[in-house]
Amino acid sequence: MAGTGHAQLRDRDDVLLRVKDLVVHFPAGRRRVVHAVSEVTFDVVSGETLGIVGESGCGKSTVARAIIRLVDITAGEVLYEGRDLAGLEGEDLRRVRPQVQMIFQDPISSLNPRRRVRDVIAEGLAVWGDDIGSWSRDRIDELMDAVGVEARYGARRPHEFSGGQCQRIGIARALALDPKVLICDEPVSALDVSIQAQILNLLQDMKRRYGLTVLFISHDLSVVKNVSDRIVVMYLGKVCEIGSTAEIYSHPAHPYTRALLASIPEPAPTVDVSEGDIGDELPSATDPPSGCRFHTRCPRATDVCGEVEPVSEQIGDADHYVACHHPVAVEITAR
Amino acid sequence: MADQAPSAPLLSVRDLHVKFPTERGTVNAVNGVSFDLYEGKTLAIVGESGSGKSVTAKTLMNLLPRTARVSGEVTYDGRDVRALAAEKVKHFFGVQMTMVFQDPMTSLNPVKKVGEQIAETLRYHLGRSRSEALEEAVELLDVVGMPEPARRVTQYPHELSGGLRQRVVIAMALACQPRLLIADEPTTAVDVTVQKHLLDLLDELRRDRGMSMILITHDLGVAHGRADDVAVMYAGRVVETADARTLFFDMRHPYTEALLRSIPRIDDPVHHRLDPIPGRPPELIDPPDECAFAPRCIYAQSDCLGGVPELSGLVGLHRFACLHPTGTERGMAAMSSNRAAGVTAAGLPVTGSGGGSG
Repeated sequence: MAGTGHAQLRDRDDVLLRVKDLVVHFPAGRRRVVHAVSEVTFDVVSGETLGIVGESGCGKSTVARAIIRLVDITAGEVLYEGRDLAGLEGEDLRRVRPQVQMIFQDPISSLNPRRRVRDVIAEGLAVWGDDIGSWSRDRIDELMDAVGVEARYGARRPHEFSGGQCQRIGIARALALDPKVLICDEPVSALDVSIQAQILNLLQDMKRRYGLTVLFISHDLSVVKNVSDRIVVMYLGKVCEIGSTAEIYSHPAHPYTRALLASIPEPAPTVDVSEGDIGDELPSATDPPSGCRFHTRCPRATDVCGEVEPVSEQIGDADHYVACHHPVAVEITAR
Repeated sequence: MADQAPSAPLLSVRDLHVKFPTERGTVNAVNGVSFDLYEGKTLAIVGESGSGKSVTAKTLMNLLPRTARVSGEVTYDGRDVRALAAEKVKHFFGVQMTMVFQDPMTSLNPVKKVGEQIAETLRYHLGRSRSEALEEAVELLDVVGMPEPARRVTQYPHELSGGLRQRVVIAMALACQPRLLIADEPTTAVDVTVQKHLLDLLDELRRDRGMSMILITHDLGVAHGRADDVAVMYAGRVVETADARTLFFDMRHPYTEALLRSIPRIDDPVHHRLDPIPGRPPELIDPPDECAFAPRCIYAQSDCLGGVPELSGLVGLHRFACLHPTGTERGMAAMSSNRAAGVTAAGLPVTGSGGGSG
């Protein structure tokens, strides 16, 4: 990919979220548009953690925001339990949103500084109380306890907590409405190393305890590997590679995935360090390259890559799909 | 001052203290930091936010706000750096010793062409003419791997990507042929593929020019791959310092061990349960007279609460500030007694599975 295609969609009854040919454009003035997300297709089954990984400008956060309609969808479908969220408006949209909650990168600025943290957590319940059932102090206490913030600090305001504590409060707020899907957008990137592991473990615990399905967005390949069952690798608004986490990390097939794995300070053993030597100029998203969007930086690119957009294809019979004209041959034992 | 023997360090820091008076009390940002840096070597200073690593760097560069209270010795090539700063000596900071900051956008002037910004350094410090300086700016951009340097000198910072901006900053830092480059989180604001290029570039420049480098980072992976020596800071102190190999594979300080254990690694299995460090870093206002890591440490004994442990060992060798170091008999004894008690002397619960290399 840095291409299109639907081969990666799964035909299962427990698909909770299906994103099909999602396109998000932003106006950039003078009738130009930023092609933030271009024909992105993937699905998430119930109870799964899907990791979306890529560098800045790849569209990973925009995909997440489009799913809960924080940005407008230009084209494509977002099917949640079979319903297309792309077309929902007004009250219909409002009724779906409690089921899909989000936590953000900057834990402090995503909390209202003037409100007590107890009220921040309770906000959703206060709005939805009648529809979701009665709620009480106990519910807030329980949530605070679950995320590891002492309930007696409920009357404090966000600035009185550390970044890690604020992220816990953000998680409690997201969980208050009993969502089915939790979208985590770079949830540990702003935290200190010693706090990251606490939050990652907490997310795993909350996932188990509340039966969540998680969309986990990060630029950090080690973090994504740790939390995800399945991974989407994105580049410049397109999907490069999708597959089970074990597949992607043990047999990375797309040259961009390999470049990422080779660039991290302690490179993955499955790639050669030299594969990280791609140019450092990301092409413009207002005028993306033709064919495969990665071809301008790709060490394996040939003429066809600049002309024809690759379509995702399954590799052997593994849960592994790549859109590339020249994927790196990987030994598939099960072929 | 007499010429230094070849074995003398280029930079030597002894018992550096930095305090900031604030409304809430005095912040003890740096509490007795000592290290040596030799010609041509890279020292990584690793720590989390609030550990004092950036304040240490800014002290060296004389960039602290006036309110800061500094004590201790900083010697560069036999010269007293703090005295140079007090005398407002020109052409030392930015010439002999330069610095690259985390965010290239804030260290560049947004309304000035990048070529002119580099040229400005050359004109001020080296007295180059305007045209000479602009020519040299193009050469410098070429050295730092900027594509089409002749065109780039006429561009403004906002016209460049983050990676290219950081190359401009590095070019400026190199302009006066410094012998010491201090890089403060130079790649934290850029993507991994760009990070690799920038770190490769810094390595190459250091080797080609025989520069010394202080690399300040929160990323243990970066420190591991790029440094000869590593100093780990916690709560304003160096708690362990050694050559990179020793520090990562035969560490003694429980904080170093816990930090390395808590980060997810690319070759860990999927859904590997992480081993976080409990609690959070201490306040730097009125710190208690005890090991700052003791409240979070699974080895902590009552003597850890009786005073701040000194960094033991000779400067330049493996040093650590811990009474019950990991990987030693004392450490193992501390761990097993804490496990048996189910709690450390500082009141931290210890479960059977947590940590401990022994």
